[in-house]
Amino acid sequence: MTARIPYVLAYACAISLSILFVYPYYWMFVGSFRTTEEILTAPLRLLPEVFNLSAYGEITSIGGASLLRLTVNSFWITTASTAIAVVVTALGAYALTRRPKMLGFNLIRYGFLLTIMYPFMLLVIPVFIVMFHLGLLGSYSGIILFLSLGPIQFFLFEQFFRSFPKELIDAALMDGASELGVLFRVVLPVARPVVGTVTLVTFLLNWSQWFPVLVISRTPDTYTLPAALLSMNSELGTNFQGIMALATLTTVPVVIVFVLTQRRVMQGIAAGAIKG
Amino acid sequence: MAVTASIPMTQPTALPAWAREMWRYRVLYLFVLPFAALVVVFGLWPIAQSLVLSFASSATAFRLNPDYVGLENFETIFSDRRFIASLNVTLFYTAISVVLNVAFALGYAVLLSSRYLKRGNTFFRLAVFLPVITPDVAGFIVWKWMYNQNFGAVNAALGSLGLPLFGGIADSDTVLSALVVAELWKHVGFYTIIFLTNMQLLDPALDEAAELEGATAWQRFWYVTLPQLRPAITINVVFALIQFLKTFTVVVVMTKGGPNFSTNFISYYAFQKFEQASYGEAMAMASTLFGLVLVLTYALYWALERTDWR
Repeated sequence: MTARIPYVLAYACAISLSILFVYPYYWMFVGSFRTTEEILTAPLRLLPEVFNLSAYGEITSIGGASLLRLTVNSFWITTASTAIAVVVTALGAYALTRRPKMLGFNLIRYGFLLTIMYPFMLLVIPVFIVMFHLGLLGSYSGIILFLSLGPIQFFLFEQFFRSFPKELIDAALMDGASELGVLFRVVLPVARPVVGTVTLVTFLLNWSQWFPVLVISRTPDTYTLPAALLSMNSELGTNFQGIMALATLTTVPVVIVFVLTQRRVMQGIAAGAIKG
Repeated sequence: MAVTASIPMTQPTALPAWAREMWRYRVLYLFVLPFAALVVVFGLWPIAQSLVLSFASSATAFRLNPDYVGLENFETIFSDRRFIASLNVTLFYTAISVVLNVAFALGYAVLLSSRYLKRGNTFFRLAVFLPVITPDVAGFIVWKWMYNQNFGAVNAALGSLGLPLFGGIADSDTVLSALVVAELWKHVGFYTIIFLTNMQLLDPALDEAAELEGATAWQRFWYVTLPQLRPAITINVVFALIQFLKTFTVVVVMTKGGPNFSTNFISYYAFQKFEQASYGEAMAMASTLFGLVLVLTYALYWALERTDWR
């Protein structure tokens, strides 16, 4: 009997903490179906009185941009910045690890390290001025390009290319392959898993971005879902149910992607972070 | 060498070795070019911009050649009592959050990796990590409403358990603890996973040996597990320090620096100065915070690596 006590304690702890971690999602989801009056009378009710979908109807337009537009923006900005991030970072990390001592390579590496050490939120402010000089303020390309640079992506690729056996590259070169041939026929076929992990992690991280989107945008037409959620949060006159509905829509895609790929995402983020 | 045969005939021969290497691997420059461009345009340029502008007059910040005012912006912010208060509350909040997050993550990782929890482990890990990948705006908005005095879940739960109500984000005495809890929810999963990843690398033989010698569970944790986790603790403390020094989103979403400036952290204050078009002061604050991050990170890393902290 006493042998079971540690099991019971461990499970009691882990289950109650897990419930606390997941509860806000549940409260948000249920809240999006309940009117303010219903919540005032029973804040902790586990199931909605009726599945009141009016909030999802009310948020079809937020601050002048349609919900459809915001959703398309979110997917477009996230997908495009992820694609650019994967290609550009993979090529960059590959070149930098292939011949780290080439003239200028150290400079690029240190420049990158300095960039990711700089507090992100405070980097965005001068980026506003840079975008102004480049004429990219208010454009999708400005937002997408800025989101294409990230630390975890670089460190995951760097780690992979560093551990790639040099003999394979040398052998291919001996056989007369060009550097391009080496990259496309020798390295990239083996790099599929790391490319997959970086794609997933970048997608999840960029989906959440709101501050650069808000700073670089000129109108809500280029907002993403999190940016719209924030501007709805600062509006006067609080529409609790609508905010919960929009928060649910913002959260659901990443939760689905994460639950399907959780092991890979957690390992990827942990590996990319430990390296940095 | 067979390799040189594949190099085009245009290869110059009378150049020094480093130049010949550059020529031979010139395609690597092509590979690195887009990455380098992104680093320069969205990294080094804005950083240089912010350093330069912290010495410039705000009114001329958008010109290519702004007027320089020397240390005036730094003098302004350091004689601003609100900025000094902001510095203090940022450091205080960071210290508490770093300790709580790393301690909680360590404890939880030990629990999740214990032999008593075989089944359901995937779910427990998923639950603690889910907030890490959740859009922070969405997570913090939900917390903001959960803290609401009238219909928030927090006070409703406390009330139904007969416990005293919590002031939440409306009361300047409780607002910091409210933010600490919400941010712990958001970030602790990251530190937990780092500990768990490191625990998989531990040598189980050491633990078994200690158990055979009759060591208690606490002794095994303190003398066997903990010393092996030292690199992970250093990494997590440094990550947490950087994370919490630049605390921003939670303030924007939940408190706007209030009530009564009690959560006016540096990054938020700098952002407000930016919105008021005080670009020079905003950048001086940004540079100060960057300096603080660099110095504290390095000092803490050095201290954790060298001293026997137990």
